[in-house]
Amino acid sequence: MRDNTHPMTVRVNQQASTLPYQYADIEIENNAQRLPLVLCLDTSHSMLGAPIASLNEALRDWTRELHDDVSLSYSVEVAVLTFGDAGVSAWQGPNLLPYNSPVSPFVPAHLFQPPQLKAAGVTLMAEALELSVQIVAARKAELRQLGLQFYRPQICLVTDGLPTDATGHPTDAWRRVVPVLTEEQRARRFRLYAIGVGGITDRGEEVLRAFAPTFNARLHGFPFRELLQMMSASANAEQRGAGDEVFEKIFSQFKTQRPAWES
Amino acid sequence: MDDDSSGGPGAQWRVRGVSVEGYRHRRTGTPCQDSWLYTVSGPPEDSVTVLAVADGAGSRARSDEGSALAVQLAVECFTRRSAELPPTASGVRAALREAFLDVRDEFLRRTGDESNDFATTLTVAVLTPRWIGYLSVGDGFVVLRAGTVDGVPQFHLLPQPAAASEYSNETVFLTSTDAERWVRTACVRDPEVDGVLLSTDGLAQIALTWVDGQPHQPRASFVAAMLRTLDSPGDDPDEDDEALAVLLRSDKLTAVNADDKTLLRAVRP
Repeated sequence: MRDNTHPMTVRVNQQASTLPYQYADIEIENNAQRLPLVLCLDTSHSMLGAPIASLNEALRDWTRELHDDVSLSYSVEVAVLTFGDAGVSAWQGPNLLPYNSPVSPFVPAHLFQPPQLKAAGVTLMAEALELSVQIVAARKAELRQLGLQFYRPQICLVTDGLPTDATGHPTDAWRRVVPVLTEEQRARRFRLYAIGVGGITDRGEEVLRAFAPTFNARLHGFPFRELLQMMSASANAEQRGAGDEVFEKIFSQFKTQRPAWES
Repeated sequence: MDDDSSGGPGAQWRVRGVSVEGYRHRRTGTPCQDSWLYTVSGPPEDSVTVLAVADGAGSRARSDEGSALAVQLAVECFTRRSAELPPTASGVRAALREAFLDVRDEFLRRTGDESNDFATTLTVAVLTPRWIGYLSVGDGFVVLRAGTVDGVPQFHLLPQPAAASEYSNETVFLTSTDAERWVRTACVRDPEVDGVLLSTDGLAQIALTWVDGQPHQPRASFVAAMLRTLDSPGDDPDEDDEALAVLLRSDKLTAVNADDKTLLRAVRP
């Protein structure tokens, strides 16, 4: 089985016959500039039923679109973290990684397959964000070591609730990660998106605003499809070297739930 | 476009350039924001060839015009400053910097208050019989082919300006404040140089190897193929260019980098 954690071993495998005969023998490694993308998803009990079904469906659709995008598929690397039943879980594509596994959860987009998520358990949101920050830093170090360049990573937090402790009780412990996230975002280590869905409360929204002052939103229903498309649009903008204002525009259009990133 | 006359050995360069729009630009119908241009001046046995490539900033409204203006000004100003043919390496590098300031000042004068909309990188190589001059601002790059070891051609990446940030898609432009501080120059005196390749960052991952986020050295197999097809051209140079453009537009290269791509190559047979 191919080891997804070592992108240098992954070769672009298109038909060489499509190349002009003078260049047919050129070997090209997939040393595309990478764009790490973390989906940090709430799979706690409140997501049970239609919400988690719609999230799974959106992940499948998005994966298909990602595979079809010649540019994103060899550049974006997807890691899925969930917070719910087993506390915080890291997935390498469809496979749940053992707790504290040293294996990177990032998978090149063209090889990514989404996990089948189930809803249950508590909302260890702060811990999930801490792990997000950690895996992004680790991935950057790996990419540097592999001699690969990278774009500014994106972390996308999606939740319908309030942070809890391991027993499911609301807690203020999330406040401890705010200074960390603030400093990391100031140093441009990643872009953090914090999206509230379903029946998220005012207090829930306040938490998201503290985490991600620039890119936070409270949306009606569970528009996961639009959300994932917004992440692709932002990845796109990152690839073409867009300025901050472009990301803010993409995000504000997403917030108003108009599909304007297609324009 | 072609410069194929055969002068004395080592005097005449055969030059060809190709730019193709990247995958995104192709999908959205946006024009290619890269430009290239070259000129040859002086008598055939003592000619000066100035090569320039520029990459207009993807996020700026008129960067396609910016890159076109940059290469146009570059061939003018660098030709003028090189006519004096300074005898020392430091003299060459000083002349290159003067030429850069000429380009920058004229660029800002012509684009006025909107200069940021025209933001572009600029990479220039000046080929003279006695030295090769190089100047770059931003993330374009130049590879030289010089000599052989056991019959294998050797390739050398000229030093690039320091990276602007940990993310390599962020760079310095001709129009950036203090751009002159980020300029990198070099003067190469090596009569064995018989191939020169200039490119924008659209080929950086394909044509170069990387260590610690920094370009390290040319990827010999790719660079060799790019110069080989100019060493032994087909009957129709335009067909050769088209074949190269097909390669640069291919999915195989697009997967590695979806940006506009430019190759300006010079060889002396």
